[in-house]
Parts: sequence; C-alpha cells; structure tokens
Amino acid sequence: MTSLAEAPESGRDDGSPLARNLRLFAGNRLASLSAAVVLAVVLMAVFSPLLAPHDPYETDLFRRLQPPAWMQGGEWAYLLGCDALGRDILSRIVYGARVSVFIGFTVIALATTVGILAGLAAGYLRGWVDVVISRLVDVLLGFPYLIFAIALMAMMGPGLQNIVLALAYKEWVIPCRVVRGETLAAREVEYVEAARALGAGRIRIMLSEILPNILSPVIVVATIRMANVIILEASLSFLGLGVQPPTASWGSMVADGRAFMLEAWWVSTFPGLAILVLVLAINVASQGLRDAFDPKFHD
Amino acid sequence: MHTHMFRHMFRTATFASALAATLATGAAGQASELRVGFSADALTLDPANHRNRETETIIRNMYDGVLTRDAKMAIVPELAESFRQVDTTTYDFTIRQGVTFHDGSPMTAEDIKFTFDRLILDNAMGGQTSPRKGLLGPLKEVTIVDPRTVRFILSAPWPILPAMLPFQEVVSKAFVEKEGSAALATKVNGTGPFRLVDWRKGDSIVMERFDGYYGGATDIPPVGKACVDRVIFKVIPESASRVAALLSGDVDIINELPAHAMNQVARNANTAVVTVGGTRTNFVALNNTKPPFDNVLVRKAANHALDKKLIIDKILNGTATPLNGELSPDAFAFKADLPEYAYDVAKAKALLAEAGYPNGIDVTLDVEGPFKDTAEAIASLLAKAGIRARVEVGEASLLTKKWRQDKDKVGDMTLTSWGNGSLDPSDIAEPTLQTGGRGNSAGYANPKVDELLVKASTEIDKAKRAAMYHEAQAIVNDEAPWIFLWLPQDIYGVSKRLSGWQPSADSRINLHDACVK
Amino acid sequence: MSPGKVLERLAQLVLVLLGVSVIVFLMITLTPGDPVQIMLGDQHVTPEQEQALRRDMGLDLPLPERFATFIGNAFQGEFGLSFFHRRPVAEVIAERLPATIELTLVALILAVATAIPLGVLAAVRKSTIFDKLATVTSLLGVSMPGFWFGILLLLLFAVNLQMLPVSGRIDFAYQVEPITHLLLVDTLLRGRPDAFVNALSHIIMPALTLGLPMTAILMRVTRASMLEVLAQDYVRFAEAKGISRRRILFRHALKNALIPTVTVAALETGTLLGGNMIVETVFGWPGLGRLVVESIFVRNYPLVQTAVLFYALTYVLLNFVADLLYTVLNPRVKL
Repeated sequence: MTSLAEAPESGRDDGSPLARNLRLFAGNRLASLSAAVVLAVVLMAVFSPLLAPHDPYETDLFRRLQPPAWMQGGEWAYLLGCDALGRDILSRIVYGARVSVFIGFTVIALATTVGILAGLAAGYLRGWVDVVISRLVDVLLGFPYLIFAIALMAMMGPGLQNIVLALAYKEWVIPCRVVRGETLAAREVEYVEAARALGAGRIRIMLSEILPNILSPVIVVATIRMANVIILEASLSFLGLGVQPPTASWGSMVADGRAFMLEAWWVSTFPGLAILVLVLAINVASQGLRDAFDPKFHD
Repeated sequence: MHTHMFRHMFRTATFASALAATLATGAAGQASELRVGFSADALTLDPANHRNRETETIIRNMYDGVLTRDAKMAIVPELAESFRQVDTTTYDFTIRQGVTFHDGSPMTAEDIKFTFDRLILDNAMGGQTSPRKGLLGPLKEVTIVDPRTVRFILSAPWPILPAMLPFQEVVSKAFVEKEGSAALATKVNGTGPFRLVDWRKGDSIVMERFDGYYGGATDIPPVGKACVDRVIFKVIPESASRVAALLSGDVDIINELPAHAMNQVARNANTAVVTVGGTRTNFVALNNTKPPFDNVLVRKAANHALDKKLIIDKILNGTATPLNGELSPDAFAFKADLPEYAYDVAKAKALLAEAGYPNGIDVTLDVEGPFKDTAEAIASLLAKAGIRARVEVGEASLLTKKWRQDKDKVGDMTLTSWGNGSLDPSDIAEPTLQTGGRGNSAGYANPKVDELLVKASTEIDKAKRAAMYHEAQAIVNDEAPWIFLWLPQDIYGVSKRLSGWQPSADSRINLHDACVK
Repeated sequence: MSPGKVLERLAQLVLVLLGVSVIVFLMITLTPGDPVQIMLGDQHVTPEQEQALRRDMGLDLPLPERFATFIGNAFQGEFGLSFFHRRPVAEVIAERLPATIELTLVALILAVATAIPLGVLAAVRKSTIFDKLATVTSLLGVSMPGFWFGILLLLLFAVNLQMLPVSGRIDFAYQVEPITHLLLVDTLLRGRPDAFVNALSHIIMPALTLGLPMTAILMRVTRASMLEVLAQDYVRFAEAKGISRRRILFRHALKNALIPTVTVAALETGTLLGGNMIVETVFGWPGLGRLVVESIFVRNYPLVQTAVLFYALTYVLLNFVADLLYTVLNPRVKL
C-alpha cells in the first residue's frame, strides 16, 4: 500500500513517537477490544491444557461425527461435536490456537527481522547491495505466494518448522520494501547528516538513528501481514501440506471436515470461525494502529 | 428428465428475474442424456498413451477392445468373435465382421495389428513408446494370418494374456496415419458405442450415441446401439460436491461415493447406493528388514491387535471385506480357508512380551493424505495393545520413494494398497510379495514363495496353477509380512431414473446398456 | 515514456523471468519424488520400459542440460511435453487458461464495482454508522479464509437451497461456439441470453469468493484516498464558491481519489491469480490454478515451470500497467 512510504514530519522531537501513538491507539475502543481478543487467543494457546475439556488426540470411533450439543444426538460434554475420529472439536480448536499463534508470530518475527536488516542495508548503503537485494525482491515477488509455498513444502516435507520457513522465505520481502522506502527517505534528514558529520559509522547510523524512526510503519505492516500469514498457513493445511497428525491446526481441521460437509457441517465450520475471529481481531487492531500512527487520520 | 429440466429452469429463473421470457428455450429437445459425476478428468483420449484408471474408464465408452469383461468380470470377446490358444506362446483371434469406426470406415485385421504394434514396438507412437507396453508382458509380435484371423505371438508362456487384453482398445490405422499419432490425444475415431462430441478440459467430456455401432459383445445383452442419446462425464473432484450433484439430480451416476455419505444417498427418494466388490487390497506393510517387525512374533502381534471389524464398521460403513491375505475373494485361486488373526489384545501383548518387548514398541505409520483418518484410527487401536504408532502423512511420490527401494528401508509401517484389476494373483503377488518386487514395501523375501510364484506365472494348467498360489497364500498368511486389512467395495451413487447399469469391479463405467427414464 | 525507460523495464522483465525460471527449476528438480514412478503407480513395468519412459520425458539428461534446453525452447515458444498428459505443455495450459482468466476478470469487475461506490460513500459519510459498518464489513472480507467462505457458499446455495450449481462453467445444454473462450462474452456475442444467465450462475460463487479480499482492500483504499482528497484545499475552495457538493464530488474529487484505487487494483490482480488455486479447488473450476497444484504433487516439471513463468510474466506486466496508469491519471508525476 503506497501511502505508508511517507515520513511523518511533525512531532518527532517531543518524546518518543512510539509512545505517543500507542496512547492514541488505546483511545480507540474497537481496536483495543480487538487487541484484547488477540491476547485472549494467545492466552488460550498458552494455557490449552487447562482450558480444553478433553484430550484433543483421544479418538473414539463410537463418537464419530457426533453433532454439537444443541442438536439431536449431541452431548453437552462435547459442546461443538466431534470430528471423523470422534475427537472433541472444541478441545482441538483450543489446542489449534497454538499452531496459528506460533506460526503467526514466528513467521512475522523472522520475516520482519530479516526484512529490516535487508531493507536498511539496501536503503542506506545503496550501490550494489541495493541492486542485489532489490532484484532478489523482484524475483521473489514474481512468484504467486501459494505456489512458492507449496513448492517449498514439497521440497522440504511437511511439518511445523518447514511451514514457518516456507512462509518466511517470501514474507521478508514485504517489510524489506517498506523499510527500504522509509530508509531512502530518512537518510537525507538533518539528524542523519549531523550524525555523519560527527563521524558515526554507517552501521551505527542505520541502527541508532534511522531504525527507531521507521518502526511505526514496520509495526503496522507486520500486524497486517500476521493476519495474512495465519490464513496462508490455513490454506497450506487445507491443501494437505500442513501440520502432521495428530496435531490440530485450524486450517487442517477445515480441510478434514470438508468431505463431510453434507452430513456433518460442524466439523469444518467451527474451526473456520476460529480463524475468522482471530484474523478479524488482528485486522481491526492493526487498522487501529494505522489510524493512531498516521497523523493524517487524526481528527 | 422432466424433473431435472424443471429444476434446472427454476434455478436459472431465480437467478435472473428479468429474463423470465428466455426460459422457454431450456434443454434441447427430448434427447435422453446420461450424466456421470466423475472424480477426475481424462489425461488424454489416446488409448495407448496413459496409465490412468479414470482415463481408461472414459476412453472405454468410445473405443472397444479385442476382449472385454462383463459385470461379473468374466472375460468375453468383443471385437474378436472368438479366440483359441494354438500353443503355449501363440493365440489366434477371429475378428468380427461388420464393425465400423465412427467415421464409417470398416474395422479390419489391419487395424488390430496396427493397434498392437503401436503398443508394443518402441517409438511407435510418433517417436514415443507407449506407457501401456508393460501391460502386455511378453507379447512379441502380432501377425495377420488371414483377413479374419490375427495371431498374437508371445516370447514366453503367459497364461494371463486374455485377462490383460481388455485393458487395450483398438484404433483406426487409417485415422492415425492421416491425422498423426499425436492427434489421438484429443480426437477420437473408435468402434465404441459412443462418439466424442466435445472435450472441455477439466470440465466435462461429452459423447453422443454412435448409430453405426455393431452392437457390442454378444455375451453381454442387450446387443445393439446404446440406449441413451448422449453421455456427459462431468469432472467433479470434490467428493462432497459430487454427492451434492447427485442429490440435486444434476447427475445420474457418481463414482467414489464416500462411505460416510452412503446414508444420505440411500435416504434420498431419488437416489440409491450400489456397490461392487473392489479389486484394491488394503494392507499395512510392515518393514520386515529391521526391528521390531523383522520378528514374526511382533508381526503376528500387530495383526491380533487390530479390531478390523470396528474400523470397517465405523469408518467404511461396513463396505469392505476383511482379508487374511493379499487376494480378493473374486480373484483366481483365492484360498478361502486362510486362518484369521482374531482381535485379541491380550494375545497381542503376550506375543510382544515373548518377542522381547514387554513394554510395547514405538513406531511410525506412514500414510498418504487421503487415508489419514483410517491410519489414525488404526494407530489409536494398535496403541491399546502397546504398539504406539505415530502417524506421518506424506506425499504419495515421497512415500513411494521411501518404501519401494530395496536397500536400507527405514520406515516401520505404512498403510497402503495394491490394485488387482485383472483379478489374477500374479498381478498382485509378484509385485508385492516377491523378493525385490516393485511394490514389495514390506521387504518380504521368502525363497519358497518366490519359487512358487515364478512357476505359477508360466503354468498353463489351471488346477496346478491354483494349487501353487494356494500354497503361497498359506505361507504368506503364516508369516504375516503385513497387517492384513480389507478389500473395500467400490461404492457408486445412482439416480433412480437409471436402469441397465451395474458397476463392475475393475472400476469401468460401461454405459452401453444404461438408460435413463 | 522515454525509450530509455522502456528498455529498463524490458531488462527488468527479462531478469525477473530468468530469475524465476532458475529458482523454480532448481526447486522442483531438487524436490524428492520421481515423476516416472508416480506415473507408473502400481503397474507392471520392466526396467527397460521405465528407462524408455524416462528418455521420452527427457529425464535422463543431466540437470544443466535440461535447464538449458528448457530455456532455449522457451525462447522459441516451445515448452516441452507435459509428463502426464503427454501433450505439449503450451497446449494444456492454453486449454485451462480462459477459465482462470474469466474468473479473475469477473472477480476484478465485481470487486471494483462494489468497492468504489462503497468506499466513496463511506468517506462522504465518515464516522456515521454506515462508515463503521462498511469498515467492519471490509475487515471481515480480508479476514475470511477463502476456502472456508467458499465451502459455506457451496453448502448454502448449491446444497441446501439448490439455487446455484455445484461445479463446472456451464451446462451442456447452453453451450455455444467459442469466440473469445470467455463464456460470459461468447454467450452474449452469440445472442444467447439464457446461456449467459447459466454461465453467470456458475461463475458467481467462485468469483465472489475470489474477489472478496480484494473488494475489502479496494474499499479501504478508496475511502482513505477519498478522505484525503476531500480535505484538500481546492475542494474547500470550490465549496466556498458555492458549487454543490455533488458536483465537486464527481467532477474533481473522484478522479483524483481513484488513482490509488486503480493502481492497487492492478497490483492486487496478481494476488487474484495466486489465490485462484484455492477457489478453483473448492468449486471444481477447470482453470490453471488447480492444474498447477495437481502438477506439483505429481512432479509434472515442465508444466509447473511453464505455469510459474507465466505467472511471473503476468506479475511484471501488471506492475508495469499500474505504473503506467499512475502516470496517465496523475500527469504531475513523470515516469
């Protein structure tokens, strides 16, 4: 999105821009609520063993495709019904949060770190460093995301670690582009000139002068992309390239349930809802972040 | 037809309120049309250029073969009138007269010779070798004795030649020479009951009745033209969508009806479930080349630990036959009285202890994605007897590589299957149980069994052949290189408007005699 | 645009295509799994026959030679034979391409037609219930996994209500002779409104599913840029002069506000092409996306390589179009 490449001018010198913007964010009720939802999901992931009513891996062929509690044939002990092997769907959703949260955070953390370093280097050092990195970014962007991920998974084999790698391999180009753009703009500003005049080394300038001032858009982009990454993991699991059984990921639960759509719609629907809620919360919160960090939207 | 047309028009009407006037056009005339909701598209329409069951099913409605099978899997003559075995390596086929291709040209012995030359000679297909050559074994040469007789000459005795001929279809020599070999991929000039109208890739294949059809195999009544005017194979890979299409009356036959959807189809007033004994033996191959499954006691324990009937009941909805060996009950030389490994958890634990594993074993169970559920069910049942199996889902291509190599097999167990469409033991026992066989995932190697299989593959006398296979089956059952599982039935869903069609065990959907009301 | 710039763009195109083909070639050949074994599956085959098959597929040549052959042939428009279809890759892809193109175009049109009015309205009625609702709805649009949403649509409209068909592009009875191979266009050109409706009923659900995230994004972009434009001095000046709000809107503001929308739309179309495979799988749409995914699983190298090249080419072209549109619409910016 093109509008992020503008450097905020005013307010740079009255305290940390980060703290100021965070305060603005807290004032937005909807965004704060969504952030709370995300936090709740993270807590659910951390405390799964305490929250899940049943063992998510325990199969019981006699409970195969049991309907949710409020339908005929359901039991209240198994609130959202059971899947094709008689496992409790609610418990699997609780445990499934671990996968989504883990992948969302790890991929973004990895990609953002690599992206920041690459973007800083490309934007500040320019020259052949910039050429190489920019061309690499171009080539990687030319691949449709899903095909690249599928091909990588086919190469590396399934499993959680490989999903993280497969997604991170393409994801880093996005923070890299943002950081590069911001760095290009920032390097001409006075305080950078001043630092250079004072004899500070290039790496020092990159890390201590430029980086803190471009963090805002990077954080915003990172949160937006997190939502995307979670959906991508779900898509990969949907295509059969996701986590290994018996681990439950929300995406693989939707995929497994899709054959039973006609007889047992609940197997796919509830995990899909979970994805929706988490991703929506992330998106609303990140929208709030953007509104808070971008001075143009202050009323 | 009327119900369908009405529902069809209703859908279009609700969609575009302003265009009500155009609905009068509807479907063309009163032509009877049979639609099949099919799980896959054809890869090609060239009968000699693929190795794919679904492709063959589609092609088989437009091309006839020298021999074919009826619904009970008996081999009957089709384009041949009869055949006889001249000696151990020579068979003569008398060619039926009065058969024409779709373009009106008559089929002669030349076309038969041309078809098989194209299949068995290297580079005979426009520079390529036919991938179906392997299905014809030691077939060396096809010669024309006289205009009514074609001679098949083998380089070694091969009793299953007649069983393998139904897999090949006859093409027109003149057509291939005129259009070029590559044209057969998309153009059809066959002798089958239907001719190609249109192939909309990935979407559907449309065929119409060939009025000049010679009538078909005389042993499969009724003999004559096809019953319906038009056949459409609609490609619907998603099983739930396929079932939905059947339930809504959009299609008349669907293949691969999932077991869990059977009840819905049976309950629906307009549809019914039909099943046929399958030909794909399912088993769990155990790695016989390294611990723990190199010990026969552990393998027997695994067999006793599995409650096959529960899984067949719950996951397959009862649509499978439990097996104690590798053969289908319909196969030639099936030994019916093989001892069963009864479900007995205590016995399994005792055997494990006796083998030196009193605390059970930890192993991995490899499986392809689509069969994940069954594998997990098996693993959870085995765990109760101390065989703690961790399921690992992998891609088909990777699993093949891992399990089909001979040296240093690393896996422990894999849930897999092997098709035996010819229903002849050599087609399954040799690849899966002979030392070094292509499909011998278990790494099973028994010289006595090898000897029996080799002898039986060239034995002409049926009784002697059967006895050899019986002996082999008994040894295999006793040594339990696998966890013997089951033979799933092929489940189809049909509309009640359909008549004159039965599914056949080799997955062919032969629509010659199918009619819709 | 100066010839220097054109050359620069061309160079970039070639570089990207080359880079993409190297990467995809390496990736897929380094992927374990033997296409010959996969093709032969369970069947009887002697080692000689397997070797013959391997030779036919060109797999017995060393890697660098295979790559050179691929690139060399690609320049001449020859992309090899698809392992599984045993027909030229170009042919197989060309057969499935119209379905994907049509789906992408319809999704794009739906997205643009919905997003722009909604975005403008949301901006004009900023902070009202309508705005908040539109924002939430658009966030919902980017938050729904496409495969889940698609399945729900199928369940509701095709299975339960039986209002829309389950799969395919058009029913046989409504087939028309192809001109552009885009069914919606052809049915109209042939004067068959009933066939048009039928084709529309087949494409509507997959197009909605595919276009939903893009609609959401475009709506947000339109709203944001509309707000920005409305705050500009010249708008306030026009208001002060007494020109009606409406005229301001349509004469001056809209044109400028749409610039980011259009450029983002061009860029996001590339994403549409990428998201195709999920939608095509769920709806059984006979397009390229599904074919490519299947081909990866069966290691159909030539097809995957060619398809990825095609996607890369499309991406670079779309980028170019976006930049071009930007200059055309905003004459102040020089390329």
